Amino acid sequence: MKIELKKFGTTLISRQAGSEALKAFQSTLREIESDEILEIDFSGVLTFSPSWGDEFLTPLMDLLGDKLVLLDSDNLSVQETLKLLKNIKGNPQVYS
Amino acid sequence: MEAKLLTITQAAKILHVSVDTLRRWDNSGKLTAIKKDGGVHRFYKEKDLEIFLNDLVNTAHEWMMHGVELSPTFYCSNSAVFQARLTKLEMLLMQKQGLEKTFSIIIAVAGEIGNNSFDHNLGKWPDVPGIFFGYDLDNRCIVLADRGIGVLESLRTVRPALVTHVDAVKVAFSEVLSGRSPEKRGNGLKFVRAVTIAQPINLYFTSGDAEVRMKDPLKEFRLTRGQEIMRGCLAVIEF
Repeated sequence: MKIELKKFGTTLISRQAGSEALKAFQSTLREIESDEILEIDFSGVLTFSPSWGDEFLTPLMDLLGDKLVLLDSDNLSVQETLKLLKNIKGNPQVYS
Repeated sequence: MEAKLLTITQAAKILHVSVDTLRRWDNSGKLTAIKKDGGVHRFYKEKDLEIFLNDLVNTAHEWMMHGVELSPTFYCSNSAVFQARLTKLEMLLMQKQGLEKTFSIIIAVAGEIGNNSFDHNLGKWPDVPGIFFGYDLDNRCIVLADRGIGVLESLRTVRPALVTHVDAVKVAFSEVLSGRSPEKRGNGLKFVRAVTIAQPINLYFTSGDAEVRMKDPLKEFRLTRGQEIMRGCLAVIEF
């Protein structure tokens, strides 16, 4: 299954909006087969921030693990946010 | 860690004016210099120059320090107002030559800082809720400020051993720790730090007497203790 994030908005910044998006996505999430891959498509998103991403993507990463595939994006805010979220998951002390 | 003083020559270079102009401004009171122990040489605090350079910063500073009435142009009483104005700025930046790619990172940084103000002061605003949000596209800067509890008070709820504003701000920019623990939060300012290093953005951030500067060309994370205790937080993003 592929999810187009732009359906949740094109400026994805606040925690409240990210949390709401995840709640709205729950019904779709229940339809995913246990071995099915979930692809996240960032095309059309203008701005993406760690707060929104942490509310929406982090729970999905925890739930789906390798079955969650984040598609490449040429958007700088997407690239930098994903870099940080992946880094933090493995290493809470980002800077010494 | 004390803020260093700049010579009049250094100050003139930063403000793009002559040394004679600075002497005149000092005599007229437009920009007052510091004279050490009654000496004749003029010195300037870096922060004073930054405030002088930017009317937006000056306006935000006056609101933070003295609670002067704020124009509705700059005041976002709640996060919904902020989101709407940030989206408007996003559209303006997208159309600006040279920012076709970096606009998204500028908006993400402003969004993280502005939303931090709302998230960490929810139910705790000492007096005026909401934030100052102003921008100047000609001078390529965004200014965000709040009259909230500041970084130290926010983080001390989860790390009582924190005593100074400098230590608290260091933690805020370095560790995944949030004043809203046990919620798993606290990545906003780490993101701001990382992208400021990687992207063409300069940052000035202050809370209490802690001051962070990340500026060209080195972009190193410079944390110092200033002379003034600022309530809440103030951030200037240059792009």
